[in-house]
Amino acid sequence: MGKKTCWSIIVITIAVNVMMLQWTVEAYLGRDNEFVLLYSGIGIAMAFIAFLTFLQWRKVEYAADSQQQTKERKAEPTSFPIEK
Amino acid sequence: MMTCPKDRNIRKQSKEDMVNLVDNIDQKDDLKYNRRAFLKSAVGASMALGLSTVPFSVRAMIGLAEPDHDRVEIVQLDQLPEGESVTFYYPTENDPALLIHTVEGKLVAYNSACTHLMCPVFYQKEKDVLLCPCHKGYFDVNDGHPIEGPPQRELPLIEIEVDNGVVYATGRQFRHG
Repeated sequence: MGKKTCWSIIVITIAVNVMMLQWTVEAYLGRDNEFVLLYSGIGIAMAFIAFLTFLQWRKVEYAADSQQQTKERKAEPTSFPIEK
Repeated sequence: MMTCPKDRNIRKQSKEDMVNLVDNIDQKDDLKYNRRAFLKSAVGASMALGLSTVPFSVRAMIGLAEPDHDRVEIVQLDQLPEGESVTFYYPTENDPALLIHTVEGKLVAYNSACTHLMCPVFYQKEKDVLLCPCHKGYFDVNDGHPIEGPPQRELPLIEIEVDNGVVYATGRQFRHG
């Protein structure tokens, strides 16, 4: 899973969780207990997905970062040129 | 030629890029507010939103686990002529309710706290409707649903039972009809 996919999933989870929170509160005020549990369950699942996606993004992001650093180190001259 | 000693410290005049980079006055902000920090905040926000539904679900589970309501006597049917209503409390002393014998001869009962701002609701015999006088909210007497004014939800329905000329309350429904 690439970095862009991770970003997309996290943005989607935010959008879904905003809706779930609103619907949960509405269902709670309307005493629809079954719907409260349903929407809350979806909200918790989305929070879990967001966290797992974050872990995946972190892995990809920092792996790419450390690879770049290694390349830069290799490209650096090992000794200074001797001035004549 | 004399030069000002301070000129040596003016790095921005240097042609060397790396020298100019040293003069990064927003370095702290750059380290604090960047793409990675934004994504971390976004994940935190998503998790906070998702987990903030938990208290509601806990309360809902407690509500589901509550025992069924008792059977409570309201009134003798012959003491309630058509077009009249009587106030009682169900399921607790803090839940006022209205038993209505409509002009059509039907028996219906609802919790009488308006679903807008909890004002008491009254039965209007002339128009055969339930009226909340606080903000002129009207409810249909047959199903308790709002028909006019600010209320958006129906009145909780009290299930009733007539046994040997006595009207009993046996349960309550929040969403009905």
